[in-house]
Amino acid sequence: MLNSLKSILRTFWQGAVRNKGLFFACVLMMTFSLVIFSSIFIFRNSTQNLIRVLEEKMDISLYFKKEVPEEDILKIRDELLGYPDIAAVEYVSQEEALKIFEERNKNNPVIQKVLTEIGENPLSASLNIKAKESNKYETIIQEIENSAFKDKLTNVSFTENQKVIARLNHFSQAIELVSALVIILLVILSVIITFNTIRMAIYSLRQEIEIMKLVGASPWFIRGPFLIQGAFQGLVASGLALLILIPLIWWLGPKLENFAPEIGINLYFWSNFGYIILIQTLFGLALGLISSFLAVNKYLKV
Amino acid sequence: MSLVYFKNVSKSYHGNLILDNISFEIENGEFVSLVGRSGVGKTTILKLLIREEKPTKGRIFFEDKDINKLKPREVVILRRKIGMIFQDFKLLENKNSFENIAFAMEICGCSDKEIRQDVPELLKLVGLEDKAGNFPYQLSAGEKQRLVIARVLAQRPELILADEPTGNLDPINAWEIIKLLTKINELGTAIILATHDKEIVNSLNKRVISLEHGKIVRDEQEGRYLI
Repeated sequence: MLNSLKSILRTFWQGAVRNKGLFFACVLMMTFSLVIFSSIFIFRNSTQNLIRVLEEKMDISLYFKKEVPEEDILKIRDELLGYPDIAAVEYVSQEEALKIFEERNKNNPVIQKVLTEIGENPLSASLNIKAKESNKYETIIQEIENSAFKDKLTNVSFTENQKVIARLNHFSQAIELVSALVIILLVILSVIITFNTIRMAIYSLRQEIEIMKLVGASPWFIRGPFLIQGAFQGLVASGLALLILIPLIWWLGPKLENFAPEIGINLYFWSNFGYIILIQTLFGLALGLISSFLAVNKYLKV
Repeated sequence: MSLVYFKNVSKSYHGNLILDNISFEIENGEFVSLVGRSGVGKTTILKLLIREEKPTKGRIFFEDKDINKLKPREVVILRRKIGMIFQDFKLLENKNSFENIAFAMEICGCSDKEIRQDVPELLKLVGLEDKAGNFPYQLSAGEKQRLVIARVLAQRPELILADEPTGNLDPINAWEIIKLLTKINELGTAIILATHDKEIVNSLNKRVISLEHGKIVRDEQEGRYLI
């Protein structure tokens, strides 16, 4: 068993060494594919993080006329909680609103002075609404505008994150689409190159293969070296891709975070390092194994 | 139980009939010469026996097992029981004599210890004990063929198929190879020698199966090459 394994590994190594130019070209192509694959994977997940943070910051605030009693507002809150698209409704009384406003502006003497001069609480009570999904805010606003309590409101304020999220979503989808096309192209190229590398290895070892068949080597003994070569190319490419990705993220991460701090590419990369290595390695292995399996099935009749 | 049994076997390639309804049996330990002109189907018979080809019609049995019904795993076992010798040797040029035999043994799953023990003995048996480190290009044609025989013997086969083994050899080396094959046969291994060398066949005084136009025209014990 151990001897057979040694022999399979030796045959694989001979095949790789005899076609080292093609072997390295193949590894480089696979590395390139894996770098693109992992970059897209990291970018996609970081963008999703950013979208999630922005979504969390989204809400609708309903400001009530001063004469609307608190119990009416609380009834409206209960009514709103019955809406299928609403996740939560928070009541902020006039007093609480003033407290928050004063706290926020405690270092602004002008505002402090104005508040003192007015002598009464100028702020309205409000309800802060969180939707279940970010794309439901427009629907909720429409429902509020058509509601019976519309006349009790002074203002409906909607944090405009939705446009940013929509843009991010569009951007992310466009990137995903282009990336998917690029990945498909790179995967096809990698498969073709790996397929040809294995074909060349089979050709250069044809004498050995013929003798293996003659002396009764098992089909997997004959196929093994080529499948190992495919898998090995995938593994080496995965390792090289990682060596390229680390400085790339290190260099690009801060630049992207200047543009959108919540994107946290660096943080995502390092906190999911093991997972990224695993996904990338599995992708590389699958790429190598599938290509070599196709080549072996086509060119190696055992 | 016959070692080999061809039962009404026909083989055609792209409509050309190479073997036409041939039947014969070979017993354990027999030495059979398969004779006939080039292209008469001698090599095809050998290829059918190691399941490199399948017959168009008929059945082939090795040790009572229908070769065409063997599973891939069983084909591997069949090929380990049948050794093949070729006119063009089929040696690995980048391996020396020792390594060429060791390679075949490794494939069959032999341990390093077995390889270290058996290879020098096999080289001695074929008279190449002092050429263990020589590469095929450093060997004469006769020595190459003897190395091939050593490699075949490493498998401990029950049957050896020799396809024109003397075709590339001068008469002296050819005789040495035939003597070696006869010696192996005397030790109990069956041999099928496919050849069109009249002189060798006639001097062997063993069973001869003569082929002509894809048919067996003669099958004689202690036969002669009469085509």
